[in-house]
Amino acid sequence: MATTWDAIVIGGGHNGLINAAYLARAGRRVLVLERRERVGGAAVTEEIFPGFKFSMFSYVVSLLRPEIIRDLDLPGHGLHILPLESTLTPMLNGDHLATWADHDQSRRELYRHSPRDAEAYDEYGRLMHHMAQAVKPILGMVPPDPTSLRPRDLMGMLRVGKHFRGLGGEQFHAMFKLMTMSSADFLDEWFETDVLKATKSASGIIGTFLGPRSPGTAYVLLHHYMGELDGVFRAWGFAKGGTGSVSEAIAAAARRLGAEVRTGAGVTRLIVQGGRATGVVLESGEEIRARTVVSSLDPRRTFLQLVEAKELPDEFVRDIGRFKFRGSSGKVNLALGALPDFTCMPGAGPHLRGAMSISPSMEYVERAYDDAKYGEFSRQPYMDIVIPSLIDPGMAPPGKHVMSIFVQYAPWNLNGGWTDAKREAFGDAVIDAIERFAPNIRSCILHWQVLTPADIERITGLSEGNIFQGELALHQLFFLRPAPGYARFRTPVRRYYQCGSGTHPGGGIMGASGRLAAMAVLEDGA
Amino acid sequence: MSHDAIVIGGGTNGLVAAHLLARAGKRVALIEQRADPFLAGEPGWIPPQLAAELGLPGLLWGRHADPWIAVALEGGGRLELFGDMAKSVEAIRRLSPADAAKWPEFCARMRVLAGVLEQLYVQPAPDVETRQLAELLRLGRLGLRVRRLGRQAMIDLLRILPMSVAELLDEWFEHDALKAAVGAAGVMHLRQGPRSGGTAFVMLHHHVGSPAGVFRPPLSNLGSLLKAASGVELHLGVAVERITVVRGAATGVTLADGRTLTAPLVVSSADPRRTLLGLLEPGWLEPEFARAVGNIKCRGVVAQVTWAVERAGAFDGLAVAPSLTALERAYDDVKYGRVSAEPWLETRWADGRLVAHVQYVPHTPADGAWDDPRRHALGDLVERRLLAHYPELRGVLKERDVETPRDLEARYGWTGGHAYHGELTLDQILFMRPIPGWSRYRTPVRGLYLCGSGAHPGGAIAGGAGRLAARQILEDAGR
Repeated sequence: MATTWDAIVIGGGHNGLINAAYLARAGRRVLVLERRERVGGAAVTEEIFPGFKFSMFSYVVSLLRPEIIRDLDLPGHGLHILPLESTLTPMLNGDHLATWADHDQSRRELYRHSPRDAEAYDEYGRLMHHMAQAVKPILGMVPPDPTSLRPRDLMGMLRVGKHFRGLGGEQFHAMFKLMTMSSADFLDEWFETDVLKATKSASGIIGTFLGPRSPGTAYVLLHHYMGELDGVFRAWGFAKGGTGSVSEAIAAAARRLGAEVRTGAGVTRLIVQGGRATGVVLESGEEIRARTVVSSLDPRRTFLQLVEAKELPDEFVRDIGRFKFRGSSGKVNLALGALPDFTCMPGAGPHLRGAMSISPSMEYVERAYDDAKYGEFSRQPYMDIVIPSLIDPGMAPPGKHVMSIFVQYAPWNLNGGWTDAKREAFGDAVIDAIERFAPNIRSCILHWQVLTPADIERITGLSEGNIFQGELALHQLFFLRPAPGYARFRTPVRRYYQCGSGTHPGGGIMGASGRLAAMAVLEDGA
Repeated sequence: MSHDAIVIGGGTNGLVAAHLLARAGKRVALIEQRADPFLAGEPGWIPPQLAAELGLPGLLWGRHADPWIAVALEGGGRLELFGDMAKSVEAIRRLSPADAAKWPEFCARMRVLAGVLEQLYVQPAPDVETRQLAELLRLGRLGLRVRRLGRQAMIDLLRILPMSVAELLDEWFEHDALKAAVGAAGVMHLRQGPRSGGTAFVMLHHHVGSPAGVFRPPLSNLGSLLKAASGVELHLGVAVERITVVRGAATGVTLADGRTLTAPLVVSSADPRRTLLGLLEPGWLEPEFARAVGNIKCRGVVAQVTWAVERAGAFDGLAVAPSLTALERAYDDVKYGRVSAEPWLETRWADGRLVAHVQYVPHTPADGAWDDPRRHALGDLVERRLLAHYPELRGVLKERDVETPRDLEARYGWTGGHAYHGELTLDQILFMRPIPGWSRYRTPVRGLYLCGSGAHPGGAIAGGAGRLAARQILEDAGR
């Protein structure tokens, strides 16, 4: 006889696992179904080459909500974060811009470029800190539906309104600017040093199909400011053992709380009876029943692939159909026999232990976007480079290293489509671009893995390879994420819920979607 | 000689403010640096209340050419769109039956949203920070109005305003020329391409005051009517050198010819940066305020080429805008300080001359300043491109005048050469215009007001800012 679960969670990425953990914590019998042989989704560690372990996709951690870390006791399940302390931006003229964990050192460095910017830097940091604090309550909130007249939605709108009014004039205006401006324009109001603006603006383009001069990128800039590690704001770090260990820790917590996690169990279809979700069908044909089904997949898969269109309102199908993914980033993972030598800062100094940002000028980043806009990968891409093995030696054999290169832009919808030759050419463009700043890079490479958005989609299932399960554009946030009227984690199908980062508040290993969706399920009395 | 009020600038907004103040019994002097500042047929919607308020009932008009646009098609021929919905549908059907079928619904949905903007544009910008009951009630009424439009319109409003016009149009239509005809309204006077967020709003802004299916501002006679009207003392051909301030209050202006005029009210229709950072003695403004004014984005990207013409003809609304991608590429050039290799062109008929709107043209080219040879090259480029698509203009175009954004700045005083005195980006509209917290036409200097399109509701609303500024001034005076 088939057992009936209280809840099935489709997809064992971090949001799915967090959702399952919270449901299990509330005493529900939960089954997580993951298509791949390992949990984690895009947060996985894989030994791609013998002895070399990579955070294959997502590679840094910061946004994971602290309440989740506490509630699920993730440190107790093996989560250990190693801080990433510096950022080095090599410039085209051989100079560089560096920021360090030591505030005074960063300030001196900035002062070298512009005394004015060194002054503005602290004030800017304070403002962004306040802005991030101001947005945080919104991230932890179930979005109200502004078109609804139900008391709960009206109260919700009132709460949002009061919250923002409570900020006071100056901060309210700054918030409004962050919501609407381009990161380039926003930063222009603060700084004059081009390389500083370029490096800062880069966090405004991550995961988007926008350039630093496109309105909407200032919000993404803020989104990346919301990180908090051990109570320190705006801190980024590596998970010891790679990003996969974040997923492993959550999975361990979920299991400890009683959830069952099955891998190698891809779901092909949701079973709907009388407008109500009652279970799922696996790739093997096996049917599993449950009183509630939660999908952590992106909105396109959750609705257009798992559910038959007839179960959904036409308007909703249309809304989900036009939800924008437009994956724009790729990843190159290198196994290195030796360390790269940057012309601007020769030798194996502490700078290699931090991030290296290939964003030498605003124009460089904007031009990278121009290529993608018309369907080509950037000939000279923006890159965020880290060498985790310097901080976490277990990631590579002794004396050898792993390098993770986040690359933008690589459009999912490449002219003519992605082929092996195009992937190779893309990888070459990446290495060529690094070579301008670290001429020995080629000779250091033992193995390489190039991941295009098409590869990301194929391996992780993320539609169009979008790392946020849908762009963080203003018209796809809050009560519009993923569709008007369905931002509260519920769906048009009764007992079917969504908990991926395609829902409010969005991606970046934040986990808030998984947690909020669990609250919604429990509130409805699963 | 002293006055009750001095108005700086004789554009439509300055004239409207001056005449409204005069009608309220004030002795008003208006100072305009140009001897003959006005072109007939200025683009812009006239708020409907203005005719009665100015005592010009039945005399004002705002209208469109019909067809309001003709877009040259790549393979020859053109797409013409009309005020008449059925005629437009017929024209679109020849290119794409699918688009023709959707056109009326699209137009109706956009019309509703433009209607919301019209409501917002005939009253002061909503003060979302207010604690005053009257203002809260006004906000509540605005909210209710929007609610009454129904769920679809509310979702459209929230969703579409921050979108890019390209995304919006791609959701509806397939034909490039149709999308470009509508989409160009989304980048008009904007240093953004159609794929930038916020351009859907700009498209709606330029739809305000026009019938469903017409996506350009109407041309009006407001400026030329007021120029001829009596009641305001005009000082033409003389520039204001300084706004004089004593103990934090405006006392009048000093003119370039050395004369001074005194008045307890100085109302400037010059752009906010020029007014507050150029005409005011430095030192009257808090550094924070001055910094915010300096940060107003007004990066002009439009050049104007004007021809005397051999003979009149149906030369209005001729556009060269083949596709949204072409517009986006035209924008790419200006990002790096170059004139678009293939600019968006659109003609209008004014005062017996043909004027071409040319976008994108940088205010300051990356490779050196504007000079006559460059101006000439730009004129040639525009003429060549126009003639290639509209052969009927051959032999018609005579003497030509090229005005780059730099020239527009020099001639009209627009900072950055920006005709709207500030870009209509989402961070520079409503209560953020001209700068956050100062949307009520006042300035930190007592008696000094802004009344130009740098203030709410911005450019392409004929007399909109002048009207609201005059109301604010009279209200403050009555306190």
